[in-house]
Amino acid sequence: MHRFWRRNRHWLTPTLFLLPGLILFSMVILAASAETVWISLHEWDGIGAKTWVGLANYAELADDPQFYVSLKNNIIWLLIFMLAPPMGLALALIVNQQIRGMRILKSLFFVPLVLATVTVGVVFGWVYDPTYGLLQLIFGLFGATAPALLSDENFATFAVAAAALWPQIAFCMVLFLAGLNNLNEDLIGAGRVDGARGWRMLRHVVLPQLSQVGFIAIAVTVIGALRSFDMVAVMTTGGPYGSSTVLAYQMYEESIFSYRFGYGAAIATVLFVIMISFIAWYLHGLIKAERSNA
Amino acid sequence: MTNALAGLRTTRRRFIKGTGAAIAASAAGNLCFPALAQAQEITIISNLSNVGQRDILHRLAAEYEAKSGAKVTINNMDHEAHKTAIRSYLVVGAPDICFWFSGNRMKAFVNKGLFDDISDLFARENYKNVLGATTNAVTVGDKQYGLPMGGLLWGLFYRKDVFAEHNWTPPKTWTDFLAFGEAAKSASMIPMSIGTKELWPAGGWFDHMNLRINGLDKHIALMDGKVQYTDPMLTPIFDKWNDLIKAGFFSPNHSSFGWEQAGAALAQKKAAMMDLGGFVRSAFSEADIPQLAYAPFPELVPGVARYEDFSVNSVHVPANAKNKQGARDFLAYFYKPENLGAFLAAEGAIPPRNDCPPSKDPLVNAAVEELKKVVGTSQYYDRDTDPDMAQEGMTGLQEFMVKPERRDQILERLEKTRKRIFG
Repeated sequence: MHRFWRRNRHWLTPTLFLLPGLILFSMVILAASAETVWISLHEWDGIGAKTWVGLANYAELADDPQFYVSLKNNIIWLLIFMLAPPMGLALALIVNQQIRGMRILKSLFFVPLVLATVTVGVVFGWVYDPTYGLLQLIFGLFGATAPALLSDENFATFAVAAAALWPQIAFCMVLFLAGLNNLNEDLIGAGRVDGARGWRMLRHVVLPQLSQVGFIAIAVTVIGALRSFDMVAVMTTGGPYGSSTVLAYQMYEESIFSYRFGYGAAIATVLFVIMISFIAWYLHGLIKAERSNA
Repeated sequence: MTNALAGLRTTRRRFIKGTGAAIAASAAGNLCFPALAQAQEITIISNLSNVGQRDILHRLAAEYEAKSGAKVTINNMDHEAHKTAIRSYLVVGAPDICFWFSGNRMKAFVNKGLFDDISDLFARENYKNVLGATTNAVTVGDKQYGLPMGGLLWGLFYRKDVFAEHNWTPPKTWTDFLAFGEAAKSASMIPMSIGTKELWPAGGWFDHMNLRINGLDKHIALMDGKVQYTDPMLTPIFDKWNDLIKAGFFSPNHSSFGWEQAGAALAQKKAAMMDLGGFVRSAFSEADIPQLAYAPFPELVPGVARYEDFSVNSVHVPANAKNKQGARDFLAYFYKPENLGAFLAAEGAIPPRNDCPPSKDPLVNAAVEELKKVVGTSQYYDRDTDPDMAQEGMTGLQEFMVKPERRDQILERLEKTRKRIFG
């Protein structure tokens, strides 16, 4: 036994370490995804028999105006969320200074990350309330009436995504703060000797060292924007009349409320394909960056 | 490919079975309960969110245990979570008794053979004699699949003190209704409080208009998918509804809030009336509840008999229950007039039995009196039609209330959905 272990441990050890993760990953992610694709080829109400319909669900999806609304909203989310990495970086640079009281400021910016997204959604729902909300109070100071953001089909998605942006900025800030702590002191010293300060120091010495962190921040933000669901569910339930739904929420609604698991699965599959293409692109970039560093 | 996927499906099925077993085990409450005694065990899954009702159910269970020697275990679930959980536990690991809703929501499970036919219990206890019309709510093809619980009569609620102050009376006709709206507006109140974030209040408004204009039979035909959404019979509904929207009858920005906030506006005298069930009382403070009064939705077309939305909750025996006889015996005890009366009084619902002791709640008594004048009842938009249709329909009705000029597009979209679902 002992000899067997010794002879084989070069592959046994990593295998044993990887096994729990692999088992979980294949059960929870791979098997579930494969089954989702399988279900999307059926008409199924979640209880009774599944009827094979081939690609009919996808054909219907291509003809469903609601699907394009969701897709468009996902893109709006993505664009708004792209503000999070630069704003997070700016905040990180501000709070990363050695000034008295900066720790308190830092923790204030960190707070939204501690809150559950649902809480953020509920609180922002109150802020946006057209009669009693904070927004109306501010507008009221100028004698104006606040627009009912969540009741307006043109504003609802922007209002919800803006609320979701708040914790996302905090998240990027934390990532960049960690990056700033790992800066190479020698390089900064060398830059200083060469007379770089302010903007030039940032542009040519600090930012290049943060490129890895920036890459991660963008990736996490994109995925965060695509899988948005909870804020929509809490703040608008996809309304008014479906104008603020995103793919994840539409899938939930079709499956749970309309009892159309096949159709819901087809939406999930489309979202999955979008995500997987992004992740492939991301991994490709990561590997390329690692190679050029080595 | 097929093999691998078949393998996946078995594991999933096994997984569900496991979960079902876990639910059943937790319902049983006590894992080390001896197997022999389990024959005399009755498990109940309840979805009651009202604490008073839960207490009474526990009290009745304890009394029944003492009387019969059977063990009654109650597993309480969150009301909303229960709506999704019931779909899996009815298939695997069913309890002996569960709470649900009658009408189409019940029919969906009956058609899949998941609820037990309890016509024998109806015959044994002579329920048909005391239930009257509510029997229909739990009947599919002459067989009964559940016991009707408390009913909610829908209509227009208002504050007596506000009406007295302005010398108003509840509107009875369409002309009254329009005049009332103007009067409320000149008193700077919203004529009709409504919150459509949860969609269904818009569905309820449609029900009322359709019942008053086309009557029950045509309404049910539409709910069953037998009438097209583009049918001319719906034109007067949307014409009249459009008039109300244009006249500023409804709460502004109603799609940003739900019924609770709309109810609060009624309680705070910011709105004159509100279309809801009796549970609107929960938006009122204890001191204000005596001011709350009920009025039927006004007549829109003279000569159409009075039909109302009267939605009924119900209790069922799953087809996969282990102790079906025990479940029937417990239900017979639970359904005794005095027990059922106490259980429903806690919610302020109208008892389905006509021999329950009279309620102390004047609002319930008023609704009971009103119900005697009603010729026929429907359940509610989302309980009468297919759930998929209901979801599309209520979204469309909400959109109509905000953008009435899109009427034709909305109705064509609903018709497309109707065709897909009902063929």
